[in-house]
Amino acid sequence: MRKAEIFIAVLLLAIGIIAVVDSVRLGFGWGMSGPESGFFPFYLGTGTILCSLLVLSNVFKKYKKGGAAGRLMPEGALTPILWVLIPATVMIVITEFVGLHIAAALYLAFYMRAVGKIRWVTTIFVSLLVPMSLYIAFDKLFLVPLPQGLWGARLIPF
Amino acid sequence: MAGDIQNLMMGLGIALQPYNITVAIVGLVLGIIVGVLPGLGGANGVAILIPVVVTMPATTGVILLSSIYWGALYGGSITSILFNIPGEPWSVATTFDGYPMAKSGRAGKALVLAFLAHGVGAVFGVVMLTFFAPIIAEFALKFGPAEIFAVMMLTFSAFVGLGGTSPLKTVAAILFGFILAAVGMDIVSGQLRMTFGFVDLMGGFNFIVAVIGLFGLGEIFLTVEEGLNIEGIKARVGLKDIREGLAEIIRYPKALIMGSLIGCWMGLKPGGATPASFMAYGFCKQSYSNKDEFGKGASAGIIAPESAAHGAGTSATLPMITLGIPGSPTMAVIMGGLMIFGLQPGPMLFKEHADFVWGLIASCWVGNFLGFFLVLAFAPIFAAVLKIRFAIIMPIIVYVCAIGAYSVNNRMIDVYYMIIFGILGYLFKKLNYPLAPMVLALVLGDIAEQAMRQALIMGQGSPLIFFKPPLALPIMIAALIIFFWPLISTWKRKFPGEPVPTS
Repeated sequence: MRKAEIFIAVLLLAIGIIAVVDSVRLGFGWGMSGPESGFFPFYLGTGTILCSLLVLSNVFKKYKKGGAAGRLMPEGALTPILWVLIPATVMIVITEFVGLHIAAALYLAFYMRAVGKIRWVTTIFVSLLVPMSLYIAFDKLFLVPLPQGLWGARLIPF
Repeated sequence: MAGDIQNLMMGLGIALQPYNITVAIVGLVLGIIVGVLPGLGGANGVAILIPVVVTMPATTGVILLSSIYWGALYGGSITSILFNIPGEPWSVATTFDGYPMAKSGRAGKALVLAFLAHGVGAVFGVVMLTFFAPIIAEFALKFGPAEIFAVMMLTFSAFVGLGGTSPLKTVAAILFGFILAAVGMDIVSGQLRMTFGFVDLMGGFNFIVAVIGLFGLGEIFLTVEEGLNIEGIKARVGLKDIREGLAEIIRYPKALIMGSLIGCWMGLKPGGATPASFMAYGFCKQSYSNKDEFGKGASAGIIAPESAAHGAGTSATLPMITLGIPGSPTMAVIMGGLMIFGLQPGPMLFKEHADFVWGLIASCWVGNFLGFFLVLAFAPIFAAVLKIRFAIIMPIIVYVCAIGAYSVNNRMIDVYYMIIFGILGYLFKKLNYPLAPMVLALVLGDIAEQAMRQALIMGQGSPLIFFKPPLALPIMIAALIIFFWPLISTWKRKFPGEPVPTS
């Protein structure tokens, strides 16, 4: 819990600093035509830095008294979360090559079989039917083009 | 008044066209499913469908988006009553009494009560929308940039002062949202900000992508972490249940009216529906003599929070459409949809696109009405959606989220952002950083900045322009009081003032 608190506070601090540095580059004062580009971000950044510093000091004060105080997530919760996160990320990376629908079919099949321990019949049925119907709905009916990836156009010839 | 009714009739003419009715029903069914499934909320459901909506005429598209919202409002109560899992945050309060009642074998009655309460809450909200929206829009026509900025300050102050979470973290979340909104091209000067030479950053961060990540993926992480184990109660809604429900709800007019009014009031300010449902539950519990029945399946304990949640959800349309300030993430996404159609929500919308505005208001009537009958007739079928294993539903949700994120701008990078926002959403939720104000800041960032800069130019650099009487001054003062409310209330507790003189 404490590490996560500090991590997010430091992240916000960094973002605040980035905003301030960039607005100094752009100018944050009064220009030819009113406030310059960096005017608004400058105060946003300053505010963020202040807030994150206050959060940090609160965190240190609190944990000096009470120790690290509880875990961020319950014991053993990280595994199922990673089981969602990593395959999802892999799906997106595969999308760059074969297009979203095919990547999603693979992802659905993998997750259902390997993580969910769903029966093979159901797995194959769902992981073919869902991408196919979404392909027809989006790409064909609503004409919303979805990523085809490098080879997707050749893999789905219709 | 008479003019409003005439306009409403005109709007009904639009909303009742067969195509629009079909779209509304499709939206409602999708919305109810979205509401039933944990891990897929209203905001997210609407966000995913934005790309589809773009292919429709504006009024139809917005009818679809808002129908999803009404559906989600109805659907959330099915899961909380039958499964003791709140499908949506605003139906948490319903689990207190809804689930015990269902458990004791009166599931059908509990559902009917909840739906009736929703219906009444909706009527209150829609009546308010119909008759107050034109007045507020007329008033808001007088707003200049300074007043617009002041109203935004008021909005965000409400999150800080009345949000309930740590004020410091709320401010941090809001500022973070504003900074994300500032990334990319500066709309006034055309300069690039915080892009550091990366072409991908030039387009900035789209808030729809953020919503899908924060609320979609983030919510899935939370659900997976808790380890869903679903044990539902079988329910059938028969005619007998409907009769009993009707008879029962008439016996609790106080809960019904109190819930609806609290809902309508809370819906006007940001972050409405969820606190409204809790407040209504609390007030209702205080005001009835049979306090000990609450938590064991009291009818009033279902009626009050449900009518409040729906009242708040409906009345949240009012600030969105009249001032261009969405009260909830879902409303923010609907507003995003409006903006894609080139309709800038705000007072001018009533003047320039009256047919659209009244079509939307009329569709609130139609949508809520249809939604009521849909859930009543098909509640058991919708509940069956939850019987599908989560391992099947979850990857499909991720897949659909990816579609939504990609098609906002047809950019692959947005899908990666979605993942990052998902992780961020999970961590923020865990550490009590509020997500709703952050999303609103991201939505309103450009408008707020523009208003501030224009106002400062008008005031020739003096920030006093934000305190200009007669309009900006009271709004700004209210904003400051609300902002510092946490400090004021602790100060009041420390120094309780003069001891009360006793005679």
